[in-house]
Amino acid sequence: METVIEVLVFGLQRGAIFGLVGLGLALVYKATRILNFAQGELGTVPAFVALMVMIGFEAGGDKAADRGLLLPATVLAVVVGAGLGVALYAIVIRPLGKVSPVTSLVATAGVALLLTTVEINVFEARARRFPRPVNGGFRLVGTEVIVDWHTLVILAVLAGVALALAAFFRSAPGVALLATAEDPFAAELQGVPVERMRAMAWGAAGALGALAGVLGAGVFESLTPGFVTSTFMIPAFTGVVLGGITSMPGAVIGGFALGIVSQAAIQIVTTYNLDVPGPPQLAVLVVLLAVLLVRPKGLLGKAA
Amino acid sequence: MNVKPSRLLAFAAILGLLVLIPQVVPVVYVNVISRAAVYGILALSMNVLVGYTGQASLGHAAFLGVGAFASGYALSELGMPFGAAMVVAALVGVVAALVLGGVALRVSGLYLALVTIAFGLFAQETLFNIRFLTGGGAGQIAPRPSMFSGDVAYTYLCMGVLFVVLIFDWRLLASRPGRAIQALRDDERVAASWGIDVTGHKLLAFVISGAIAGIGGALFASIEQIVSKEDFGLSLSITFLLMTVVGGAGNRWGVVQGGILFAVLPTILDRTHANFHVFPFTQLTATWEPAIGAVLLLLTLTMFPGGIAQQQAGLLSWLGGGPFKHDKAHAPAQGGGMGARP
Repeated sequence: METVIEVLVFGLQRGAIFGLVGLGLALVYKATRILNFAQGELGTVPAFVALMVMIGFEAGGDKAADRGLLLPATVLAVVVGAGLGVALYAIVIRPLGKVSPVTSLVATAGVALLLTTVEINVFEARARRFPRPVNGGFRLVGTEVIVDWHTLVILAVLAGVALALAAFFRSAPGVALLATAEDPFAAELQGVPVERMRAMAWGAAGALGALAGVLGAGVFESLTPGFVTSTFMIPAFTGVVLGGITSMPGAVIGGFALGIVSQAAIQIVTTYNLDVPGPPQLAVLVVLLAVLLVRPKGLLGKAA
Repeated sequence: MNVKPSRLLAFAAILGLLVLIPQVVPVVYVNVISRAAVYGILALSMNVLVGYTGQASLGHAAFLGVGAFASGYALSELGMPFGAAMVVAALVGVVAALVLGGVALRVSGLYLALVTIAFGLFAQETLFNIRFLTGGGAGQIAPRPSMFSGDVAYTYLCMGVLFVVLIFDWRLLASRPGRAIQALRDDERVAASWGIDVTGHKLLAFVISGAIAGIGGALFASIEQIVSKEDFGLSLSITFLLMTVVGGAGNRWGVVQGGILFAVLPTILDRTHANFHVFPFTQLTATWEPAIGAVLLLLTLTMFPGGIAQQQAGLLSWLGGGPFKHDKAHAPAQGGGMGARP
């Protein structure tokens, strides 16, 4: 029982970050039918910007981060993330024009590689300490399981984001975005500024990425170039597919499911002392293949 | 094809230059040439997928890796000869492609890309850490065949295999399944209405791609004669995709040049950085190489969808026996490039 609760607690922590990354992926896919491989780096770059604010912009230095500045730094990171998202749409996606989903995925993979390389050259290929908004944790009532306060912070942020998105999709611009996703031509005829709606979706995805980057770096209390792509992106992708690729609630549910499955895989390997390296990565591949075999349209998806 | 003496002369000159390269390059860089040949093979492998069917793999470094480890295991643990180890590597690539493609291609090409990403991560963290197969962190020894044990000799072996794969690729496209695979890329529905098994031929293309990547892996393993899991990360997978697109997806001469370019670029950057003390070179170290590749990719996709091959369309057409034409409308030599598909 104790182990099950522990798996759930850690699974929810990772899963919430997968959900945040996944929301950005699903939003962009919904609005522009593009699977954005650069979503992870839309998180890492703002996280580095936040770190720079906290250590006083000495990129190569070893100064400890000033945790008091975390909140303004996060706000700046979200703004940078949104700006990056819009820039990515304007500079790369729009000039691409009408291409196959595979081609646009290739383009965003190139962007991810470009951003990672810039990070390596500017911030050096090493791990940097990254603070959490709240340190420590508390003992879950009636058990021995320690829950990080940081887990609650992530869950609260995710809940806030979910509420904001739910409210947004009921507002006029939200409906315009849905119309753009459904049928851009018809939406345009109804006076919806289609280009602006798409740019907005990419901007929002960038902001979500920035939140995932800052909170995700907090989970490991460290940040390296390419961090979000290597740590959270692939489970988030799988979570989005599991949830039904265009479904926003599906992205969150899928993220949590992937978080719990990965954690359970680690737990099983340690409990039974199995000689299996990389259990979370194995679990992610198995889940992805299983979803595609059994239910390719995902849990809440409309069509594959 | 009417073979004119001028063309024969051009072919002979190109061939002669290629044969000379390993002889004239400084000894320390001979392995870079081997690597370039392997990248050329990987580009052809990727081209079968990207250029001929419009699918993409973001996990080809893992295919290179399974080929390399399979060959290393067959060579040093099972004591197989080099040729047999290469066959084992190709078969392992085939099996991996069958499993992944069999599941993902039933749905859509986008899912194949996703599944290959997840496979790449799984290979890196799980598969390549299985101690008895891959030697864990220490790496797997992969000795060269005794006939080709020297660096220069091994380079000729790599170039020879690249040449064989090129011929295979050329004959493949001329075959019935090859034409069916190309028909899919142009229009799946039209192809299906002609009675072509769409999913089956996509899977066939992926399997061929996996086999070629496995062979490339076997050669790659014996360049340094030790295989370690750090060699096969996600960024290498993206690089393989970049060089195919930048070379000109769909054109075998173009993608091979793309592969060679991306293989030698880090070394070139290192040399220019060390020797030229003026502005761009003082900043450009080999660590910037992926960024240069990514910028080339984005320029290719947005402005020159036919890649390197498009720039050389006239030359390639002339070498192939046609007139020297530089016709923008027919530029991507064999119909397509990344931008041409719906």
